[in-house]
Amino acid sequence: MKKIFFIVFLVLMAVNTSFAGGYQVGLHGQKQIGMGLIGTSLTMDASAGFYNPGGLAMMPYQFSFLGGASAINGFTKFQMQGPSLYQADTDNPMGTPFYFYGAGMVTNRLAVGLAVNTPFGNSLAWEDNWAGRYLIEDITMMAITFQPTVSYRINDFLSFGAGLVYAFGSVNMNRALPVQGPESEGNINISGETGNFGFNAGVMYSDREGLNIGLSYRSLINMEMDEADALFSVPQSLSTSFPAENKVAVTLPLPANLDFGISYQVNRELMIGMALNYVFWSEYDTLGFDFLNNTASLQDSYSPREYVNTLIFRVGGQYMVNPVLYLRAGAYFDPSPVNDNYFSPETPSLDNLAFTTGLSFLPMENLSIDLSFLFIMGLEKEVTYAPDNFGGTYKSRVYIPGLGVSYNF
Amino acid sequence: MKIRTLLLILPALLLWACEPEIDQFEPSAGEADFSVFVSVGNSLTAGFADGELYRYSQENSFPNIMARQLGYVGNEIFRQPLMKDDLGFGNRLVLGMAEDCQGNESLGPVPAGGTPDPGNFESIAEDGPFHNLGVPGAKTSHLLAAGYGVLNPYYGRFATNPSTSSVIGQTMALDPSFFTLWIGNNDILGFAMGGGEGEPITPPEDFQNYYGLLLSQLTANGARGAVANIPDIASIPFFNTFPYNALVLTSQPLIDMLNEAYNELDHISFSFGPNGFVVSDPGAPGGMRQLVAGEKLLLSLPMDKIRCEGWGSQAPIPAEYYLSLGQLSQIEDAVESYNAIIAQYAKDLDLALADANTMLKNAKTGIYFDGLEFNTAFVTGGVFSLDGVHLSPRGNAIVANLFLEAINEQYNASIPLVSVTKFDGIIFP
Repeated sequence: MKKIFFIVFLVLMAVNTSFAGGYQVGLHGQKQIGMGLIGTSLTMDASAGFYNPGGLAMMPYQFSFLGGASAINGFTKFQMQGPSLYQADTDNPMGTPFYFYGAGMVTNRLAVGLAVNTPFGNSLAWEDNWAGRYLIEDITMMAITFQPTVSYRINDFLSFGAGLVYAFGSVNMNRALPVQGPESEGNINISGETGNFGFNAGVMYSDREGLNIGLSYRSLINMEMDEADALFSVPQSLSTSFPAENKVAVTLPLPANLDFGISYQVNRELMIGMALNYVFWSEYDTLGFDFLNNTASLQDSYSPREYVNTLIFRVGGQYMVNPVLYLRAGAYFDPSPVNDNYFSPETPSLDNLAFTTGLSFLPMENLSIDLSFLFIMGLEKEVTYAPDNFGGTYKSRVYIPGLGVSYNF
Repeated sequence: MKIRTLLLILPALLLWACEPEIDQFEPSAGEADFSVFVSVGNSLTAGFADGELYRYSQENSFPNIMARQLGYVGNEIFRQPLMKDDLGFGNRLVLGMAEDCQGNESLGPVPAGGTPDPGNFESIAEDGPFHNLGVPGAKTSHLLAAGYGVLNPYYGRFATNPSTSSVIGQTMALDPSFFTLWIGNNDILGFAMGGGEGEPITPPEDFQNYYGLLLSQLTANGARGAVANIPDIASIPFFNTFPYNALVLTSQPLIDMLNEAYNELDHISFSFGPNGFVVSDPGAPGGMRQLVAGEKLLLSLPMDKIRCEGWGSQAPIPAEYYLSLGQLSQIEDAVESYNAIIAQYAKDLDLALADANTMLKNAKTGIYFDGLEFNTAFVTGGVFSLDGVHLSPRGNAIVANLFLEAINEQYNASIPLVSVTKFDGIIFP
């Protein structure tokens, strides 16, 4: 049953996602995106089920449904370290993370909901034959999470909530191998799928006069693939050294998040807020490839990643022009979790400074059309992947328009 | 009003400066003049690889790679005496499957076969002048010798006049503004590659004289330049591929039989596991002995003789296929003396010094370029070509970068380095 559910979603949306610190994606609601991706203290609709399950029981509707998607257009440039004229660009496929949230108040204190979205992903393709091809040529990875949620409001001021998270993940990556045939170079393709469980829990306080404070925690989910496919293409004379159809065990952590947010309804028109997201990236210390069949030429590899925990600072606000039109703006700073000496071009995550804007248009009372636009500047930095002595200056720009629809009643 | 403004801004933002820009590196010649760049030396300068000088190996010679980069800082032309095809004089090796005397097939260097273009053996002096004056086989003194083209066909084919011109004379006729000189390797390798049986090592005093003569001419008109030193043979695969004790015995009857056969020579004995090969040594009792740790077998050793004719066990390996500890210390001393002389000249004449010796020493344990590990292992290491002495295209790119880095430092220049992985490694079938 679950399997069918996944497949339907996969077919509906060919999802590739990317860009936020590391491989975390923050695009889970057009309204939140418009406001600098703050969300921990907001209770405006069923999206609270993801941002802070504690807030779900405080949503101002009986029922709330919303869905949407964003289109990630990301560009990264690389300039080789040292005296060099070598530059390379990414030619990324467009990533389209999506979300769907539905929730209802079962009693006036108890809410239940479901959140489906794509909190992690990476979609990156360096130009053909680029200098770093032995580290990475292209990678597409994503995780879709399914989160049934319950939320209970103890009194007018305080509510709690929690959800069980099932994450379904897949990865497909290509690397060049330094074995050269008469026509082409060797290549390894690794692809696989896996799933695992985690949880999401939060608490929300509201003073009922416009001040909201939220705190939530999403747990670590380890995506463990025991038998991903490892396909080798090498010169014929080396086929015994690199068995063509091999298996490989890979684990990628989806790190835990601790989020804190405050928002304040200044008056009927203006709402402002901020959020702090602490991301437990240090979980990602090594990327290991453990091959089922090893040979003298094909050993298991363990590459240090040494990510560090990061604190993302976000501000944003919303202005109601009239009951039909809301405007939003925000900004955030998302420092890179990547250690400067272990900066791999497979996840070229820089310090990101981002500006956001958005609007909602309500053609009828219950229906809102939500637009957002996010512009991320990956700040130029000279870094290196020391174990392979591959370094240079990276810089990125990401443009993410998005569209969502919400229906509340 | 506001919606309309916003709707206009959104697509504008999308179109605006979609791709990020990073400031490009700015090349500069610094204090040097690269307008007339020449490279003088031996096979390493010529671009010799895989046992032969051939068109593709020449195109990937380190001077040619350098010249392309010097094009960013004022060099206009760099002409090489190219062979007509990829077979040269016909000794080229390629990786292929070869059957040994026991009928086992294995991957290794095999003759490329084919018939070289007759044009490779004809003079191309008319197509000159040439800026790559590397001559395979040349020793230091050879570069000074008038008529060297008669002795060495690799020079003869592009010498202005084979019976009268010298390499250095032909070089100076170009009036170079910048040069590289990498010479002296063959003064030692001639001895080392022949197992000490062939040519003697050129005495360091003689090397110093020849080297000084070469540099005084090269710098006479105020030209600047870069010199490279001599790699120790400890980092060259030709000397480090076959272990001295690869005679692995696992059959007790065979061990007994061998010990019985050598029972009159007390210093030769065999035991279970690895054993030193038996080699010919006129100084040893009975004219033979076993190799000891530190001694080196050469890549020229015919393996079938070991496999099927009992070389190294039933019969001694001839002296031309190994280097004794004594010979190795002679070689080591010569490399050390030469390198001290080269360093001194570089210092005195304000020349850039490409420290090939240190670079290859470091490469023994692995060095990384462009995210790729290189080492000095035969075939798989990536630096050396199939002859185990000369460089692969990637090895040449590494050496070109070594020169360029030294030049940048010596002359405050900013010459861009090359991306090593843009070049070919060893080609596997």
